[in-house]
Amino acid sequence: MLPFDFDYYRPQSLSEAVELYQYVAQQGKKPMFFSGGTELITLGRIDLAHADAVIDIKGIAEGRVMEMDGEYLVLGSTLSLTNIEEANPFPLLTKTSSEIADHTARGKITVGGNICGQIFYREAVLPFLLSDSQVVLVGPKGVKTAFIHDVFNQELQLEKGEFLVQLATERRFVEAPSISIKRRQQWDTGYPLITIAALKIDREIRVAISGLCPFPFRSREVEEVLNRQGVTGEARVERALTVLPRPILNDIEGSTEYRLFVLKNLFIDVLRSLDGMTV
Amino acid sequence: MEVVGKSVIRKEAFDKVTGRARYTHDYQTSGMLSAKMVISPYGHAKIVSIDTSKARQVPGVRAIIAGKRYPLTGEAIRDRPPIAVDKVRYHGEPVALVVADTPGQAKTAADLIHVQYEPLPVVNSPTQAFRRDAPLVHERLGEYKKEEDSHPVPGTNIATHIKIRKGNMEKGWSESEVVVEASFSFAPSDHAAMETRCSTAEILPDGQIIIMTSSQAPFMAKRLIADYFGEDMGKIIVHTPFVGGAYGGKASVQLEVLAYIASKEVGGKPVKLLNTREEDILTSPCHIGLDATVKLGADRNGKLKAAEIQYLWDGGAYSDKAIDVTRSGAVDCTGPYKLENVWCDSYCMYTNHPYAAPFRGFSHSELSFAIERTMDILAGKLNMDPLELRHINAIQPGDTTPTRVLLNRSNIGDLRKCIEKLRELFNWNEGPVKEINERYVRVKGISCSWKTSTIDPDAPSGVILTFNRDGSINLMSGVIEIGTGTKTVLAQILAERLKMDVDKIHVRMEVDTQTTPEHWKTVASRGTYMGGRAVLEAAEDVIRQLTEIAACVLRAPIQDLEVGGSRVYLRDDPAIGLHFKDIGYGYQYPNGNAIGGQIIGKGNIVLRHLSHLDPETGAGKPGPEWTPAAYGVEIEFDRRDYTYRLVKACTVVDIGKVMNEKAALGQVMGAMSMGLAFAGRETFYFDELGRVLNPQLRTYRPLRYGENPEFLVGFVETPALDSAYGARGVGEHGLMGMPGALGNALSLAAGVSFHHLPLIPELVWKAKEAARNASI
Repeated sequence: MLPFDFDYYRPQSLSEAVELYQYVAQQGKKPMFFSGGTELITLGRIDLAHADAVIDIKGIAEGRVMEMDGEYLVLGSTLSLTNIEEANPFPLLTKTSSEIADHTARGKITVGGNICGQIFYREAVLPFLLSDSQVVLVGPKGVKTAFIHDVFNQELQLEKGEFLVQLATERRFVEAPSISIKRRQQWDTGYPLITIAALKIDREIRVAISGLCPFPFRSREVEEVLNRQGVTGEARVERALTVLPRPILNDIEGSTEYRLFVLKNLFIDVLRSLDGMTV
Repeated sequence: MEVVGKSVIRKEAFDKVTGRARYTHDYQTSGMLSAKMVISPYGHAKIVSIDTSKARQVPGVRAIIAGKRYPLTGEAIRDRPPIAVDKVRYHGEPVALVVADTPGQAKTAADLIHVQYEPLPVVNSPTQAFRRDAPLVHERLGEYKKEEDSHPVPGTNIATHIKIRKGNMEKGWSESEVVVEASFSFAPSDHAAMETRCSTAEILPDGQIIIMTSSQAPFMAKRLIADYFGEDMGKIIVHTPFVGGAYGGKASVQLEVLAYIASKEVGGKPVKLLNTREEDILTSPCHIGLDATVKLGADRNGKLKAAEIQYLWDGGAYSDKAIDVTRSGAVDCTGPYKLENVWCDSYCMYTNHPYAAPFRGFSHSELSFAIERTMDILAGKLNMDPLELRHINAIQPGDTTPTRVLLNRSNIGDLRKCIEKLRELFNWNEGPVKEINERYVRVKGISCSWKTSTIDPDAPSGVILTFNRDGSINLMSGVIEIGTGTKTVLAQILAERLKMDVDKIHVRMEVDTQTTPEHWKTVASRGTYMGGRAVLEAAEDVIRQLTEIAACVLRAPIQDLEVGGSRVYLRDDPAIGLHFKDIGYGYQYPNGNAIGGQIIGKGNIVLRHLSHLDPETGAGKPGPEWTPAAYGVEIEFDRRDYTYRLVKACTVVDIGKVMNEKAALGQVMGAMSMGLAFAGRETFYFDELGRVLNPQLRTYRPLRYGENPEFLVGFVETPALDSAYGARGVGEHGLMGMPGALGNALSLAAGVSFHHLPLIPELVWKAKEAARNASI
């Protein structure tokens, strides 16, 4: 049960959504863009999320897009993870997002909602970080397109009243060899201890990680080390473990040291799969 | 047999699969108010002040209860204020209760209650609680009212101490050529039933107290509320509809008391209290934790000679049912093995953890982990096949239990047969280790268990049968339908005895304590065992009445009559007889004269010869019969990542008689699933303040479909002569051996000995790292 009442709006256009947000905010109320709704329901009931008005953006056509536009795959932010899994336009995204939550929840969780979520794993962003995708945002200043690395730092840096509409990914990334592995505390249920996604493009390996730090990331330093020529795979992996971002999580899912142990083996799996490393 | 043993579809199946079955929270009467708890965020803290002023201003608020002293509650020791006063003793303890018109208003108000706490030193494990210098959870332990067989030690954290002193320890150790000793531990966890607990209460102007509750023990709720608050027992009526999973957690009486208090505070208006998942995990009683030390001695052939055991149960902040769990753990402390010399101290310890309820297996899955791991360590030291070690020590008729009950061919099942069947079903002879490649290995572990049910010696079970005019029969029993299908099995027993179609027997699912005969509690795998006996007695009663009236109408001696196919007929000429529809409501002659009336049958039973335990030696008869079982778990272990996959889990249990095959398989498989989750993943994680860090299903994770192994189940049928058709209890047993068998498999696979639960990969990694560092 949600302990608060809220107004509900379902705009049909980008501009209507943006205007509604400003209208509600001007009245001194707290608006929230709403997509799958799973976080509002599950965090709202324990007082970790609140809104006076929710603006459901699922009725906006731009957010439902799933198409090739020239050399770009364009995905709308309100597509559910199940929509994406079933159509499978981006195999790495399918693989990564099919491990998020459970089947029932994935029918509701949207790709944009997962990326913009309060719960910090945000695993759906990993494939987009790896593929240097473009993001389409809309806000009071209108529609803008940005390079994902310019607007995603731990989380999507949205201005007030702004929301994610689409993600565009070049075909060559969509078709690149890739791998995605999720390790949990135990068996197949639960948040990631570590989720790693990797792809190989232009003979270079890229890796993006969730669950190691309290944010998902892609690290140039790590990639540089992993791709270093003339060094054994083992040495590259050992070295990569020394250039990770901080802090490294230490919680009930796993200790810092254990996470590093798991990550080490995941790096080896990535190198084996994408670089032909033999161990 | 015609009906017993068949997989009769459970009577409530259609209601359940269509979503029409109703549980406590599904009932809503008009004008029903909502209660909401404020719970403690700390494990141990002084309550400095409670400010309810803002909360009182919330519209719809009818009452706020905080800081008020009510009679102390608790089953074995009255140690628990229903709502905390002076201090809180566990994370989740109710500190205040708000009653409002709607759930939303109640929550809004509850959120506005400001409680100021002053943290106190926390007792975070039973071992810590046992130390002489440990902070006291209960300073006035000596002043509490208690049951006669609770043995608290004032000035300590000991809520009770059960002693087993059997045989001659000196002799036992002198005959022991090999001795092993090991310690084990695991923290409390949860039952995680699908339905969170819910209770409603209403006090009518004439003083009747109407309660509805999701409970395994509505009759106990009635008794306790009368006892605690001095109410007339006959004025308390407790209703229990379907219960959505219980597993022991709903045998404790808690929300009923709070709902009663809440209703009383608002002039008797109906009030509902529904646990959120977090409250169900934190506030309501949990699955007990344990610290154990086991020392076993054997001769060179592996024959066990002596056992010295210490169990420190983590009873949590209040003793309640943990006292009985502690006793039950002492009663079967050795596992199912012949031992002449036994010394066991089983302590119920107070800690600043959520307090304990029973949990499926009632101490046996917990103690079995300690015993069965030690048995494997012993087998290793003896260089002996672990299954063989168990086989030669298997307890048998002629042996005595730790409390000195002499076993016979009826009161103990056949463990050796279980072991032999396991050997076959689990393909043990191929060896415990199968190499897949350099990285992966498949490994098997085994274990055994036994259990008797230590219920109250005077615990009753009753059944009433009434006839309908069409000759069909209504069956009323106080057994709660908690998802086990027991009420269907009771119908099968009746159908078998009356040789009639089971579809002509209508089972009342809801229990109310005013019109349903009492079944003590739906716990301890006693539904079929006791309820079945009561059904048979009631069946004899209706047979007597039916044949009496038929004898009169047919002008034949009773001795010449048979009952079958919903008829009473002449044995030598079955064509001559009367259908139940013609005599179930009496018989009317063609001229209008009538004799008899509606036939009402009754049956009731208390178990024979149960006794209290001697406080110094533990001698006594705690339960009627023992069900033994043997288990196996096979895993695929990854030597690089230290992860593992569950491949197979196997239980062979001496069930006495398979009453409903599919239901029995479901019980055993479901129990195995729970046991594997308990062993492999489920635990509370506590911080230094005694806070549970994972009180949500996001982070507290039972086994999900797809994570389960292939389940193998075997039954042995050694009848318990005094039960209906020989059946023994089976509801709990699939669970009990899983932690031990999984622990044994993983220890063998990883090459390190595991002594803690849950068995997660990080635990393996830690042990491997420690072993590596030690070798460097």
